[in-house]
Amino acid sequence: MFNYNFRWNQALNSLPQMLEGALVTMEIAILSMVIGISIAVALTVFRLSGNRMLKAVATTWVEIARNTPALFQIYMVHFGLGSFGIHLSPYMSLLVGIAFNNAGYLSENFRGALKAIPDTQTRAARSLGMSAGQAFTSVVMPQMFRISFLPMTNQMVWAILMTSLGAVVAMNTDLYGVTSDLNARSFRTFELFAIAAVIFYLITKAITLSARLLAARLFRY
Amino acid sequence: MKKSIFAAGLLAATAAAMPAQADKLDDIISSGTLRCAVVLDFPPMGSRDASNNPIGFDVDYCNDLAAALGVKAEIVETTFPERIPALMSGQVDVAVASTSDTLERAKTVGFTIPYYAFENAVVANEKADMADWEGMKGKTVGATAGTYEAIWLEERVKEWGEGQFRPYQNQADVFLALSQGQLDATVSTVEVAEANVASGNFPGIKIVDKAPMVPDYVALITLREEYGLINYMNLFINQQVRTGRYAELYKKWVGEGEPANLTIQGVYR
Amino acid sequence: MFDTALTANDLMFLAKGAGMTLIVTAISVVFGTILGIIFGVIRYQVGPWWAAPLTFVLDIFRSIPLLIQLVLANAFVTMVLGIRISGFAVACGVLSLYTAAYCAEIVRGGIEAVPQTLRRAARSLGMTWGQDMRNIVLPLATRVALPSWIGLALGVMKDSALVYIVQVVELLKSTQILITRLQEPLFLLLICGLFYFLISFPVARFGGYLEKRWSND
Repeated sequence: MFNYNFRWNQALNSLPQMLEGALVTMEIAILSMVIGISIAVALTVFRLSGNRMLKAVATTWVEIARNTPALFQIYMVHFGLGSFGIHLSPYMSLLVGIAFNNAGYLSENFRGALKAIPDTQTRAARSLGMSAGQAFTSVVMPQMFRISFLPMTNQMVWAILMTSLGAVVAMNTDLYGVTSDLNARSFRTFELFAIAAVIFYLITKAITLSARLLAARLFRY
Repeated sequence: MKKSIFAAGLLAATAAAMPAQADKLDDIISSGTLRCAVVLDFPPMGSRDASNNPIGFDVDYCNDLAAALGVKAEIVETTFPERIPALMSGQVDVAVASTSDTLERAKTVGFTIPYYAFENAVVANEKADMADWEGMKGKTVGATAGTYEAIWLEERVKEWGEGQFRPYQNQADVFLALSQGQLDATVSTVEVAEANVASGNFPGIKIVDKAPMVPDYVALITLREEYGLINYMNLFINQQVRTGRYAELYKKWVGEGEPANLTIQGVYR
Repeated sequence: MFDTALTANDLMFLAKGAGMTLIVTAISVVFGTILGIIFGVIRYQVGPWWAAPLTFVLDIFRSIPLLIQLVLANAFVTMVLGIRISGFAVACGVLSLYTAAYCAEIVRGGIEAVPQTLRRAARSLGMTWGQDMRNIVLPLATRVALPSWIGLALGVMKDSALVYIVQVVELLKSTQILITRLQEPLFLLLICGLFYFLISFPVARFGGYLEKRWSND
C-alpha cells in the first residue's frame, strides 16, 4: 500500500551531524536551566521583598513568560531587541529566550514551594542568630529546591523541546536546525525527522532517568 | 488495538480514494482546483497587496496555469523551506515558487523546464565595509534557508573558513536582520534586492555587487512520478513564452527590459 | 511608534489569524480532553503493567518537540500513506493527541488523589463502579485536576503557534505576514503578544484562584 520509497540509508548518513546537533541542543538546555534557575531565585526573592519596584519587575517577567508562546519570546529576543540595536547571535537569542521562559515558570514553582515551608523555620533560624540572607540560603532554599525538584525536571525537558524553536532565529547548529537544514537539501522529510524524533526521545528519557537517580541520592533521609 | 482499527480505516479510505489509474493531472481537472504553493515574501515573484491578497509573477503564473487547465487556482502560501514538504505531503499539487532545479532535489521531486532565471546580487548593510562580493569574507552573512543562494553562500563561508552563515526561515526575516545590522550582507536575486531597496521598507541597505553564480534557473515542480502533469506544464511554459505572456508578466512585475533567456546554448534540454 | 501603516483591513487579517488560533485550540482541547479522560481512566484501572504500552505511546508525545510531531505526522499521513488531507486537520489531530497525553496524566493524578478508603466505603454501600466513578471520584478528582487542566488548555493555545509548519495561518503566522509587508516588527509583535496575554492571563489567574480556594478547605 505504500507508494513511498523509504531511503533510510541516505538519512542515516547524516547521523553524525545530527548527533553533533544533539550535543548543542543539550548544551543550550543545560545552560538555559542554570541561568533560568539563578534568575528564578532572584525573581522569587524580589517577589518576597517589600520593594514595589522589584516586585513589579518580577511579576511582569513571570506573567509574560507564562502567558505568551515560547516561539514568540524567542522571536522577540532576536528581532525585538534587534530593533533597539541589541544584536544577539542565533545561539544567544535561543539561549536567552529559553532562559527567560525557564526563569518565569521556575519562579512560579519556587513560589509555590515556599508556601509549603512554614514561616516558623525562618524565625527559628533568625533566632539562632542567622541573618535574613543566611536563613534564606541555608534553611529555606534547600527545601525549596527539593519540593520543586519534579517541576524543575519537567522544565528541563521543556527546555530540550524548546530548542526546536531556534530555526525562527536562524539557529542551524542544534538538532532541529541541523535536521531542517538537511531536509532543505534532500527533502527526505519523514526519514530525517523520524531520526531526530528518536534522538529527542532518548535525550529526554536520559534526563528524566538521571533526575530520578539524582533525587534518590540527594533527598534520602 | 485502537491502532489497527485506525490503520484499517485508513486503508479503506485510501482504497476508496483511488479509483482506477487516475494521475494527478486527472485529479486536478476532476477536482476543479489547482493548488499552488507560492512563496509570498519574495517580491516581485510573490507578495501581498494592501488587502493582504496574494499578488506577483508566480501568482499570475499559477492563475494562468489554472486557466489553461480550466480549473480554479488556489494559492497556498509557503516559506522556502516548507515549499517542498508541502508538495511532498500533498498539501499542494504544484509549486510555482521559484524553485531552482538542482540535481539533489531532482532525486525527490519532478522538475519542468525552466520558467524563469535569476541573477543574484550581494546586498549589504551600509555600515558594513564592502566593495565587492569577496568583501563578504569573514563577515556575518545570511540567506533564506533552503534556497539556491543560501546553499551557495554557506559553501563560500565554509570555503573561506571565517565568518558566519545564518539561514533564516523566510526572505523577510533576512532583510529585517540585514536592515537591523544583525547581518552584514546577504545574497538574493537581483529582482528581490532591487524591489526591497526601492520599497524603502528596509533602511540602511544597498546593493554591492553581482554574485558570481551560475544563473539560477527555476522550474515548476510536482511529484516526481507525475509525468502527465510535468509534460503538460512543459508545454504550458513553452506556450507562455511563444505567446508573449512571459514577456508581458515580466514587464508587469519586474520592469522594462528583456526577460531572461530560458534556453541554454550548446545543449539539448 | 504609533505612527503606523496598519489599516483596519490588516486588523481584520490579524483577527482572522487569532480566530484560527482559537479554533485549533478549542478543537484540540475538546478532543484531547475526551481522549485524555479515557486514557487516564484506563491507565488507572488496568494497573501500571497492562497500561505500559499506552503509557509508552503517550509518553512519546511529551518527549518529542511538537514541531517535529507536526512535521512527522504530516509527512507520514500525506507522503507515506498518500492521503489528501488539509494541514488544518493534521494540526488538530496532532494537537489533540498531544493534549490527550498531558491530560491523561492529570486525570490519573486526579483519580489517585481520591482516598482509596472513600471509594471502598462507597462500594460497600452498594454503589456500582460507575456510580462510584460518577458520584465520588468525579467531583473530588475534578477539584484536584481542574487547575492543572486550565494550565494545559492555555499551554495548548500557546503551543498552537507552531501549526504554521503545516501551512495553517494562525495568529503568529499572520503577524509575520504583516511584518513582511509593513516592516514594523516591534509594533506588530507587541499586538500579537498582547493578544495571547489578554486571553491567557485572566484565565490563568482564574485557575490560580480556583486552586487556592479549593486547597484551603
